[in-house]
Amino acid sequence: MTLPLIVSNAEPPALHTVLWQTSVPSCIERKLGLIDEITAVLRLNGLLGPDDEHWLALCLDEALVNAMLHGNEADDTVPVTIQVGRTGNRWQVRIDDQGSGFSADDVPDQDASESLLLEHGRGIRLMREWLDELGYYRNGATIIMGRQIPDSHA
Amino acid sequence: MPSEFLDIQAYEKIVLAKITKERLLEAPVIALLGEDLLKLIDRYPRLSLILDLSDVAYLSSAFIGKLVALFKALSAAKGRMIVAGVRPSLMPLFQVTRLDKIMAFEPVVEKAIQLYKRT
Repeated sequence: MTLPLIVSNAEPPALHTVLWQTSVPSCIERKLGLIDEITAVLRLNGLLGPDDEHWLALCLDEALVNAMLHGNEADDTVPVTIQVGRTGNRWQVRIDDQGSGFSADDVPDQDASESLLLEHGRGIRLMREWLDELGYYRNGATIIMGRQIPDSHA
Repeated sequence: MPSEFLDIQAYEKIVLAKITKERLLEAPVIALLGEDLLKLIDRYPRLSLILDLSDVAYLSSAFIGKLVALFKALSAAKGRMIVAGVRPSLMPLFQVTRLDKIMAFEPVVEKAIQLYKRT
């Protein structure tokens, strides 16, 4: 089921059990290393299925680019905080930036025919497809994403 | 300087462009690949391009955007493109974004070459 895109002004809920957390400057050069670290944490905790890693990388890439470049405007004096957690048989990643967020109205509707040839805006659409939890809080300055472990790995 | 992650083989108007990087997640790499692929359109009029993604295991939405830009530029220049060798695990990315409805995909690179040779 494709998740809806919901951006709320609510405070985000705390992650149930935090496995790993960090705070890093908004240096986009750090992105790949962070994707690798988060992937390693989830893999070590048995929270990834065989085809999950490329989807996870795509989702983390999207969220980190949004937080560092759009939220914090690539200001390397402004940190992005990241938490990785689990609750039961599902993982969660929370990323907070210090920006003012965004409006869901500004995200192109990728299911509309006129969006087919747009050169941007597909990241959130893909996240909505693969994740089973996707919430934007604090007007979009916090994202919490998550997914259940595949049955065969639970 | 051309991208070190693009291997080009040209057979007259058929050009096989193989991306040799496993992870397409870094913006500078994606930008350079996008520029180099667009340059092929100027270099080869009415280009028949086969874009070989068989080495690619990870990609970002930014790369998908570059692919759309390439498709649009090729169409405007009366060229054509087959995206070849996409790993089965990555194919859902193109299905969700509906690009499989407008772009030609062929799992086997050699078959894509044969397809162009016949037409």
